[in-house]
Amino acid sequence: MTIKARYISLWLLLALASTLSLVLGAGTSGIGDAFAVLAGQGNEEARFMVTELRLPRLLIGLVSGLALGVSGALLQTLTRNPLAEPGMLGVSAGSAFAVALAILMGASTATLTTLVAQTGALAGCVLVLAATRIGGVGQDPVRLVLAGATLTGLLLSLTSLLMLIDQRAADEIRFWVTGSIAGKRWDQLTATLPSMALATALVLWVVRPLASLALGEKVASGLGHRPDVIRLMVILAVALLVGGATALAGPLVFVGLVVPFAARALGGADIRKTLWFCLPIGPTVIVAADTLSRLMVKPSELPLGVITALIGAPVLMVIVRSRRIPTL
Amino acid sequence: MTSMSRPSAAPLPLHSKAPSRGYWLWQAQHQSWSLLIDRRSLAVNLGLSLLLVVSACTSLATGTLSLSFTDVVLTLQGRGSTMAEFVIRELRGPRLLAAILTGAAFALAGCLMQTLARNRLATPGIIGIDNAATAFAVASVVGTGISLAPQTMALTGAAFATALAFGLAGATGTRGYRFIIAGLAIGAISGAFTQIMLSSVSVDTANAAYPWTIGSLNARSGGSVQLLGYGLAAGYLLSLLLGRALNLLQLPEAVATGLGLHPGRTRLAGLTLSVVLTGLAVAVAGPVGMVALIAPELARTLSRAGHVPLTASALTGALLMVLSDLAGRTLLAPLEIPVGLVTTLAGSPCLLWILMRHSPVIRQ
Repeated sequence: MTIKARYISLWLLLALASTLSLVLGAGTSGIGDAFAVLAGQGNEEARFMVTELRLPRLLIGLVSGLALGVSGALLQTLTRNPLAEPGMLGVSAGSAFAVALAILMGASTATLTTLVAQTGALAGCVLVLAATRIGGVGQDPVRLVLAGATLTGLLLSLTSLLMLIDQRAADEIRFWVTGSIAGKRWDQLTATLPSMALATALVLWVVRPLASLALGEKVASGLGHRPDVIRLMVILAVALLVGGATALAGPLVFVGLVVPFAARALGGADIRKTLWFCLPIGPTVIVAADTLSRLMVKPSELPLGVITALIGAPVLMVIVRSRRIPTL
Repeated sequence: MTSMSRPSAAPLPLHSKAPSRGYWLWQAQHQSWSLLIDRRSLAVNLGLSLLLVVSACTSLATGTLSLSFTDVVLTLQGRGSTMAEFVIRELRGPRLLAAILTGAAFALAGCLMQTLARNRLATPGIIGIDNAATAFAVASVVGTGISLAPQTMALTGAAFATALAFGLAGATGTRGYRFIIAGLAIGAISGAFTQIMLSSVSVDTANAAYPWTIGSLNARSGGSVQLLGYGLAAGYLLSLLLGRALNLLQLPEAVATGLGLHPGRTRLAGLTLSVVLTGLAVAVAGPVGMVALIAPELARTLSRAGHVPLTASALTGALLMVLSDLAGRTLLAPLEIPVGLVTTLAGSPCLLWILMRHSPVIRQ
């Protein structure tokens, strides 16, 4: 199969996953009713279920999948580490902690949550970059990942501590912290869109310099780019993307690992190709995982973070097993 | 702390003449056996024991009902008031015992595993043994049709995770990073399964199993503490017997083999001990893996010895656990912070510092 054919079939796969996500799930209305709604007919109840419950969920899944996949690819190229992933490196946990703190302080509006989550993600990103600058850790992919995992554990413990202090906030935080895209409203989605657009612009601007940075700092300088500026831009983009996704879906680990891995396997190592391939793969993973989370323990639901961990952890093992951990 | 040695036909240079400064050598008559004591280790162990006793008494005295040290001592002698008697014998005493035993077991397990992997990051917590043992224990609590006791299940889980980590690490064994990353993945999967089980049962059952998922001394049952007590006693003695072999294991492999060691067998023995201790401790307190990482590290720094600080690690672990539990009970009183949370909060910065400062490979 040529690369182009692969690419098109990935988009088809996404369309299939989206359709399934609209028609499958717990509830009294069956698959037939849901298809009837999609065809423009159907009864009132099924229409409500599809357009008011499942459609926002699907859109949120699409947006957060895009954001997490792309940010994973960016972060991996930047740190030259195929195991670097926003969820494992503490970026998502940073933004989760910031949101928990904001909820504890009494914040509840969607816009504020997005901004807070992005600030937290930015702090997490800066920590990651600082860690890569320290001698020894930056060259050692596994040490960076372990440092990130520790940071994640620390931040999640702090979040639990906040939940312990305030019982009212705890109920609000608990469901959100395990990662879920259920029961979210339209305004939460629209609140993240401007920053997502900004992040997209940043990514488009920075992708060519980043590709040259992947060849080495000297090459990038020689080609007229400024490595520090590139790094800053990439970090800003990652923070905006991860923060936005976390505000929507909670901290989801392993998505940023799986998606770029699959994209590289299918499309090759060039960051520009990887990014193009991340576009359909990221949303497919999230949407499929979300559909699974609805079906596995009917009529209740699993947290989305659980499913992504179940998908992602084996991929982590495959990466480590398949070869000596390469540096990008 | 001590090492026994029998003089053979051609004794090792170390034992052939008086040992260097910093050691005491006791020789029995006819020199049928001798005892080599590292003075610094002895001092460290005595100091740690003293600290442990003091913090244990503080822990017994502190709580909603404050007792004075005199009360505690009197009650321990059996001459206290009925109230103090009840508080100490029924409430705080068993909890303290559980803290000491779990701390020592986790730390000993961590020390063994770090030694045989020659990597300070290779502790049961990081390579997912804790999480797997927890997942299995939770499975038995929420009643997924498996009617084994939580202790047995935790042990099974620990063994299962270790075997899996080894299988996935392939030929590299405990050496190298594949083992650790495979462990990380196993830990994540086990955590996910715990979540699935908790979210698919009724709220009451989930609440009963919840303490296990974060690490708390509230969930302990008398039976599992007793089992841990026996296990720890046996495990400690066995690890002391293994001590000489473990010391040799720190030498380059060819040298160790030349000195008559069978490295593979020693590793297997150490690993088995470590897994059993972890499983038993998880059955009591849930995953409090940070202790297994920090305590041996502290013990190594304190005793600065050329040998594996087994006793010092166990003492440090017990001390850390007692202090964490005390902090968890008092800091936000009347709220109680689970001990797993306290150790993670206190231990993570230490782990980060280790990651940033040191190479994870242990060099002596």
